[in-house]
Order: sequence, then structure tokens, then C-alpha cells
Amino acid sequence: MSERVRNVLIVAVMAVMAIALTLLVSTRPADVDRVEEIGSRIKCPVCQGESIANSPSPMAEDMMDLVSERVAAGVPDQEIIDELLGSYTGAVLLDPPASGSTLVLWLAPIAALAVGVGVIWWWQRHPGAVGDPPAPPTERSRTRLVVGGVVLIFAFAGILVVASNSLQDRPAPASGAADLADQDLTEVSDETMEAVVAANADNPQVNGMRLALAERYFDAGDYRSAFPHYLEVAEDPDATAAEAITALVRLSWMAYDGNDEVETATRLVEEALAIDPNSTVALYVKARVRWCGAGETDEAVTIFETLLADPGVDPETRARIESDLELARDGEGCP
Amino acid sequence: MSVTGQVLRWTGLAVVGATVVLAVVLASRFGTDPGLVDSPLLGEPAPEFALAGLDGSEGVALSQLRGEVVVLNFFASWCLECREEHDDLVAASESFSDRDVTFVQIGYQEDPAESFAYLEEAGRSAATLYLADPGSRTAIAYGVFGIPETFFIDTEGTVVGKIIGEANALILGATIDAIIAGERPGQQITGDTRQQPDP
Amino acid sequence: MLALLGTAGVIAALIGSLLLVVRGMRLTRGMEADLKSPAGLVLAGALVAMAAMQIALLSDDFSLAYVANHHSVATPFPFDAATAWAALEGSIVLWGLVLAVFTWMTARRLGGGSDRLGAAAVMVMGGVAIFFFGLMITVANPFEVCVDALDIGCAGSSAWPFAAVDAPANGPGPNPLLQNHFLMAVHPPVLYVGYVGLTVPFAYAIGALALGTPGPEWLRRSHRSTLVAWSFLTLGIGLGGWWAYEVLSWGGYWAWDPVENASLMPWLAATAFIHSGLVQRRREMLQAWNFVLVIGAFALTILGTFLTRSGTINSVHSFTQSAIGPALLGFLVLVLVGSFTLFAMRSHLVASSPRIETFVSREGTFLVNNLLLTVYAFVVLIGTTYPLLLEAFTGTQVGVGEPFFNRLAVPLSFMLLLTMGFGPITPWRGAAPGLLWSRLRAPTVVALAAGLLVAVTVTRVGWVILAIVLGIFVIGVIVGLLLELAAARASRSGRPLLVEVRTVIGNDPPFWAGQVSHIGVVLVAIGIAFAANLPLHADVELAPGESVEFAGYILTYEAPFRRDEPNRAVEGARVIVHRDDRRVGTLEPRANFYPGVTGGIVTPAVMTRPDGDLYLTLRNLDTETVELGLDTSPMIWLVWLGGLTTATGGFWSLSARRRRQVIEPKPVLADV
Repeated sequence: MSERVRNVLIVAVMAVMAIALTLLVSTRPADVDRVEEIGSRIKCPVCQGESIANSPSPMAEDMMDLVSERVAAGVPDQEIIDELLGSYTGAVLLDPPASGSTLVLWLAPIAALAVGVGVIWWWQRHPGAVGDPPAPPTERSRTRLVVGGVVLIFAFAGILVVASNSLQDRPAPASGAADLADQDLTEVSDETMEAVVAANADNPQVNGMRLALAERYFDAGDYRSAFPHYLEVAEDPDATAAEAITALVRLSWMAYDGNDEVETATRLVEEALAIDPNSTVALYVKARVRWCGAGETDEAVTIFETLLADPGVDPETRARIESDLELARDGEGCP
Repeated sequence: MSVTGQVLRWTGLAVVGATVVLAVVLASRFGTDPGLVDSPLLGEPAPEFALAGLDGSEGVALSQLRGEVVVLNFFASWCLECREEHDDLVAASESFSDRDVTFVQIGYQEDPAESFAYLEEAGRSAATLYLADPGSRTAIAYGVFGIPETFFIDTEGTVVGKIIGEANALILGATIDAIIAGERPGQQITGDTRQQPDP
Repeated sequence: MLALLGTAGVIAALIGSLLLVVRGMRLTRGMEADLKSPAGLVLAGALVAMAAMQIALLSDDFSLAYVANHHSVATPFPFDAATAWAALEGSIVLWGLVLAVFTWMTARRLGGGSDRLGAAAVMVMGGVAIFFFGLMITVANPFEVCVDALDIGCAGSSAWPFAAVDAPANGPGPNPLLQNHFLMAVHPPVLYVGYVGLTVPFAYAIGALALGTPGPEWLRRSHRSTLVAWSFLTLGIGLGGWWAYEVLSWGGYWAWDPVENASLMPWLAATAFIHSGLVQRRREMLQAWNFVLVIGAFALTILGTFLTRSGTINSVHSFTQSAIGPALLGFLVLVLVGSFTLFAMRSHLVASSPRIETFVSREGTFLVNNLLLTVYAFVVLIGTTYPLLLEAFTGTQVGVGEPFFNRLAVPLSFMLLLTMGFGPITPWRGAAPGLLWSRLRAPTVVALAAGLLVAVTVTRVGWVILAIVLGIFVIGVIVGLLLELAAARASRSGRPLLVEVRTVIGNDPPFWAGQVSHIGVVLVAIGIAFAANLPLHADVELAPGESVEFAGYILTYEAPFRRDEPNRAVEGARVIVHRDDRRVGTLEPRANFYPGVTGGIVTPAVMTRPDGDLYLTLRNLDTETVELGLDTSPMIWLVWLGGLTTATGGFWSLSARRRRQVIEPKPVLADV
């Protein structure tokens, strides 16, 4: 048979086969699994980039169970995905949606293809001037080379600087117990301080906070709440001398002022003085306790005079001591 | 020079310009952690849950806690940071117990019996509700990426704060104080979270 | 001592690189200069550095901080040697070594004092070497000595080799994932040869641009290196996929992970470059495009390194953030800005070239192929970097993963398959209309028939049928062409057909080697189509002695087992596999537990059979039951075979030389 007839026959055979194939195939595997399909579009949030359909981690399994449940309940695909998005943000989507900030991603490949085709078409239409002899590098182009090189080096250095600056701005984790000493406590509520103190009971640095809390209670007149904290500090072998003295002195005062227990108060303040015999506050409280509680005016006078002899006492305290001394000398009871 | 030559020249220079711009952008990303995401729940109503206790005892539904500030913490015994923050959570729960603040701790990716046993060993606060989350539905609803994560829900049931990473009593208390004062502290990152238990 | 040796090696290499640049400058000005000695110095220095690292690892010398932090006494051979590239600083040493070898080989081929192009190329390579060895001296120093030891590992180190050493007794060992399979010891070096090899054509291109002498010379001279790089890159990507499949427990081999993409992008660019380079060498066209392509390919290798080393994108491979990120980014910017500025300045030289007469020609199909490959590379690039860029600009976070890439990669791949069928049979300059038809009709019919056969007997999934049809089409075209040429010769010479087949191949081995690579790609495509569309999956829980039926197999859980190896403890389940009443094997899905590492690394058990793999993953093991994930991967061995075949084509092309420069693959009348 002739060439043409044979060609037509061959084309006909091809066409038949192609049509048969098209009829036979399905575009999806026989049992398309909606759950698997949705799952393959969600990233497992606790894994490194795997989809919840693929990941073996238990969290992924739980999420797939959720998806199964929703699918069985007849919820449409997009709603299920939106539900997960509402909890996790778009970062768990493996398949960027064709809208908003990711529309670019869908358009970009088509645009690239179009640009590529356009470039080829344009290139075909604009032949270069074949046969132009290559121009020798001129003086100007050499200068440009040098200038360009210098600019490059500066750009390089600039980027390194910018980058290393950002490297140092890594956010530091919030302070743990170790930074207790540096905390600004003015805004913090009592409950918070209680919680911090309770949680960090083993940390000697918490004494500062403990005392601050106790001071709050003390200033508010709430001796009962202040007492356990002062006691803790007073009994803490790792407390600093200053902390111990403060605690003991306060305890002493509360014993006297709150419970009228003069002996206890005296004992406590003498414990403080055992740590530092020159402690101004301890001496003062002792004087007050002995004077106001035990009526020992002479003892008080002696202590007051000792205090006044110390040049390190600040003017305000000095004024108070002086007025107290006068009253004591006159044999009067304490105000 | 031919047209083609000029086009090539400008294309080359355009590439140069684009490169520099992109480089600066990339360089500015260096200090940040690519794994962190902002919770979309902030400012939204907190997802409802109704869970039983770890030992199967009667639990609670979130709606029953409306009117209180709710501190919702996800934890597990296999999480080192959760162990570190445990004492602080107990202390804070106790401390705020009479201020209409309820602590709820939900076991994450762990057999409730194991979480319960851990609490026996580590101690618990009488004021905290310890709940089990079968199928991790609540964790999924709250978009938990890893533990420990702690959510703060105000008296009207809106999520107003989140801590990613290990909390401590100070940050817990400060956040609660702020919420009681009517503020919305937002999201804070204190450190790393763990994502997988050790098999 | 080893720290001193290693540092000395790096410094020597650095000095050699500097000399290369300085002396190269002199050579390009026409003065005499010896470049071979500095190249030798670079190589010697790099060898010494790698040797120092290897000795330290093999002799358990924990005075080096790198060894202290990444090696353990218990790590068996060859993983202890492979620890050299298991982490950041060591892998730069490997990069430097491969670069040194390529530089030395390029310098060896210098043609004496007048070879300005060769000198310029060696200069550029020296410049790149300065960067990498400079990294080793500054931010990524692998030879720091440990000065503050922990029980295991090193807490603080110093770059000064004479610092007081405080070495720990042991180290944590490499990441367990890197000790699970011997492939991990092999895959990085192979991949690096591919990456670093692309430096050579890049260097020649820059040299040609800088000297103002474009033309096919730079292509010709770098062609072999390009082929070496491409072949190794192909092999490396294949090995990576195979390793992922065998070791990671998700049954996949490609996840469009940023690090995987980092290796795919240069490969796509290099493939395009090989084809368009052919066009330039034959017809002196596409000059400007070739420059752009080779610069792009090299830049993509640096970008890939930057993305995976700097921590800007999380991935399975991610190294934690370190100072190397800014350095790599800076270098990338330098490369791009410098190269394209140079390109812009020399644009008038590269603009002049002939145009193609018709698209129905070899050049035309290569243009289409380049367009497709470039768009493909662009898609991968934008998908990988978009989350990063979007977050940097607007703060919103998105995820881009498999569905996105698959949606674009699949059609592009099919279009490339189609082009592969047209390219080889279309002559240069243009085809007579009847010629194409005569060469296409038989393969088309055969391909459609094959598709019908598969549709009727195996599966009706469209993607699989399409892959079969296109794949058989391509193979049919190649075989048909071979037979046609051989028959034409046989009818003239009277010799048997098979003899003439050998002659035809022998007349133009690079062409037929390329066809072998095409066949390899076809096999990969068919394998992927089957494995991606027809797998079966089930999750089962079995008690000892219990059986389950799956995919035509009977799987019986025999018992759990545990064994102790020098560097790990292994726990797993023993499963007996039967098929058609015959026992076909035993599978042991297991989990490996490494000391000091929390959690077991799950290793799947794979049984390879002609129709595909049976793949078992351990999900949970306790005293009563075992939970297993069961999977089949149909025809997956085609993917590995295809990858190997593709790389083989590249290697074969290297070893063979064309007997004659012919413009068209017409049969030659002269005797063999």
C-alpha cells in the first residue's frame, strides 16, 4: 500500500489506542482516601516537616484520628483544614492556599514559564550584531572594575556587620531562680511573691525576696503573714548577716508589739546583736524594747548614748534617737 | 552595542540589585528562631473542653470556670522542663487559690496513669485540676507545638496570654497580676519546648 | 599535636590559595608565573588537614574539640571515619579537600605561560578556596583544642593549638541517625564532589568574562569537570534518597525538604547547562545564557550550603545557628554581585550569536529542555525560600511542602520526558518533516500499546499509565534510532546488524551515554509513579504467634528480640514472611538505642522483591504485643536502578571520546 495510506492507518491505530487509554484510566487511585489526602496537606507540628499522614509520631496519629472523625461526620475538607489552622496558624499547612500571601507561590511558576517563553521569542526576534569584534577593555572599564571591586568589598563587609548584629539579638530566656536578686519587685503582687518564694524555697537568693514580702506584710500591719517569712530567714544558715539581723529584729519587734512578749523580744534582739554588736537597728530596737516593754529606762539611755556616739548614724535616725534620749533621761515612759 | 547587549547589561545589573536587597533581608533573619509561631488563639475565645481527671475521677469543663482566671498548662512526666517548672506551678496555684484563679494542668501525649504516678512523686497542689486529654483533642485545639506551654484565659473566657517554654513563679504571677488588672500580656517565649516523648 | 598539624594544613592551603590568586594575576597580564606549585600546596595542605582529622577520629584523640563533641569511643568503623563530615566544621574540611583536588587538576592542565584563560580559571578557584579555608581558620575551625572538658564532650575550646588541653574521656558520638546505615558514610563525599565540581565551569566562565574572551573555549575546557560534577551529584542525590528510604521510618525517599531541594536545584541547573553547553559548542549559540546558567548553578550550591548550615530554615538536616551563616551569605552575595556585574560589563561581547533557524531542531528541543529545567529549578527555589522571605518581610508564617512541589514537579517532569523523546531524533539545524514522523510513529504505537497492556493487567491509575507511555516512548525512540542508524550502515556495509550497532555507538559514545542517562531518568519516573500511586498501608497490632494478611503476604509475629552492639542496644520484633504458602524471609523492624541519646531511632525492615518492597516499621513494642506499620513500595527498586543508570551515563560519557566531530548524527561512510 502507498505511503500515505499507511500513515493514515498508523495514525488511526494511534488514535484508537489513545482513546481507549483515556477511557480506561482514572485520574485518582481507586480508593482515594479523603483522610489521607487531607492529612498529606497538614504538617505535623511536632515533627520536622513531615505531614501528619506520613509521620509516625503519636501526635500525628492523634491528629489523623481527628481528621478521620471529621471526615466521617461529613465535614467538608476546607472546614477541617480551617479548624486546624485556627489552632496552629498557616505554618502547619504544607500546601499553601491559593490566596493572600501565598498567591504569589501559585502564580510564580506560571509567570516564570511565561517569562521564559517570552524571552525565547524576543531573543529570536532580535539577533545580535553578528561579527562585531569584541571591544578591548578600555581605561574606563578598568577603573570601573576597581571601583566595583571596592564597592563589593564594602557591601560584603556591610552585610557581615548587619548579620552579626542580628546574631546578638537572640532573645534571652526569662530569668530563672538565679536572677532573683535582680528583680524589680515594685509591680509584683503579694500572691506572685508568695509563689516565687514558695517555689524557690531551696535557693538562698530568695531571702531577699522573702524579706521584701515580709516587709510588705509588716508595713501593712499583717504580722501574722510576715512572721513565717522572717522566721525562715532567721533560721536559714545560708542567710547573710544583714538578712539575719533584719529578720531577727523584726521578729523581736513583732514579739513585743504584737504579743507583749518582752523576754522573747529581748532574746531575739540579742541574737541579732550577737551577729553584729554594732548594728544600729538592732541596738535601737533593743533600747525601745527594754524601755517600753521592761521599763528599763537607764538601759535605754545607755544604748541611746552609744548610738549617738556612732558617727555613721544618719540624721533622721539621729534626730529620733535624740528625742527618745531626752524623754528617757527625763524618766518618762516611751511614746 | 546591540539591543540584545543592552538588555543583557540591564538584566545583569537587575540581578545584582535584587541580590543585595534579598541578602539584607536574609541577614536580618539571623537572630530569630524559625520554629516559633504566634498563637492564633490570642484574643479569641478559648476552645472549650470537658475532661476527666487523670485518675478517672470527675473532671471539669472549661465553661464551668467562667468568671475565673484560668491558667492552662500542658505537661508530661517525660518533659524535663515541665519537671523544672512543676514546683513553681504548685506554688503559684496555692498562692493564688483565693483570688479566683484556677490552675488546670493537662497531661500531654502520655498515659494518664503515668502522669498521675508522676504527680504522686512530684507533688501536687490541692487547688489545681489535673486532667487527662484522650486523643490529644484539647492539645490540638489549643495548637500545642510542644511542652511546656501555658495558656492564660481571662474571666470572660478569652485567651489573653501564652508562655512557651518553662515558666517560673515570677512570670506566672506577673502574668496573672496583669490579667487581673485587665491587661492582655500576649505571648512570651521563655525557652525550648519538647515535642516527642522518649520511646 | 594533631590540632597543630591540622591548623598548619589549613594555613598552608590558605597560603597556596592566596598565591594562586596573586600569581594568576601575573599570568593574565602576560608575565610568567608558576601556578602548579601553589595548587600543589593547596592540595597538600587540604590533605594534611583531612589526615589530621581522620587520625584524631580513628585514634580517639579527644583533645580536638570537634572529636570531643562528635565522636565516641564506641563508634564503629566506618562511622568513626565518617564523623569527619557528620557535623559542620568537619564537613567544611571535606569541602576544602575536594576543592583542592579540583583546583590541582585544573592547574595541571594549564597550557604554559600563554594560557590566560586557564590561569584566570585557576585564579577564581583560588579565590573560592581562600573563602573556604578562611572559614576554617575563623568561624568554623575544626581543629580547636578542648580546654574545658565535661564528662562527655567539650564545654569550651580554643583556636590556639598550643592552648592547655583538657580533653574528656569520651564524646557523645555522631547523631544516631548518622550511624544507622553505611550509606551515611558515603553519601556526603559523593555529594560534595558534585557540588564542588561545579566550581570548575564557573571558574572558567568567570575567567572568560574577565578576560573578555567568550566563545566555546571555556566550555570545552570545563566540560569534563561539569560531567564529573553532574554524575556525582546524580549519584549523591540517589544515595540520599535511598538512605532516607532505608533508614528513616516514613517509607519515603524524597520529602522536598530544604536540604534535599538544595541538592536538586544545582542538579537541575547543571543538567540544563550540559544541554545548552552542547548547543554552544556545536552552533556557537546561547553564549549569554550559558554564562547565566553556570553562575546560577554555582550560586545554587553556595545557597544550598547557606540554607542548610545557617539555621534559617528548619529541616531534618538543620545544623544549629552558627556564625557560618553570615559568612556564607556574604560569599553568596559576593559571587552573585561580582559575577553579574562582570556579565553586565561584558554583555556586548556575549550578545552576538546566531539564532536558531527553526524550533523543530536539536537546538529547539534543547531550548525547550532548558526552559523546563530552569522553571523547575525556579519553582523549587521559590518554594524553599518563600516561607523565609515572607516571614522576613511581613512576619506571617506559611508552610510550603510536598503538595506544592508535587503539583508542579509532576507536570514538569512529564513534559521533560516528552522532550527527551523528541530531542535525540531531531537533527541539528532542522528536521525534514518526514524524518521525524518516521522516527516517531513506531515508538508511539509501542508506547500506547504498553500503556494499554499495563492498564488492563496491572493498574488503571492515570499517572502510572502516563509514566509508562512516556517512558516506553522515550526508550522506544532511542532504540529505534539506534536500529535505524545501524540498519543503514548494515545495508551499505553488508555486515550484521549487531556489529553495526556497536559501530554506531562507538562512533559517538557521548551521545549514547547521554541516552543511557535518559533511560535512567525514565526508570526513575516509572518507579516513582508506581511507588507513589500504588502503595498499600496498614497498621496492625500482633501478639506473639499471631499472623496477619497484607498485600498478598502472610506476616507472622514470632517474638521480640534484643541484642547489644558496641555502640547501641537494639530492640525489635521478628516477623516471618510467607507468600503463596512459601516462606520468603524474615524481617526485623527495630529501634536502636544509643547511650546518652534519649529515645530510640526506629529503623524499618525492608524486603526487596521484583514487584516492589515490603516495608515494616516498629511503632510500639511491649511484653504483650507489637504495633507495626506495614507498607508496600511497588517497583521502588526501579528508582534506585534508574538513579544508578543516570549516573552511569554521565560516567560513561567521561570515559569515551567522540571519534569525530560531526554536526549531524548521520552514518559515516568510512570504514571503522
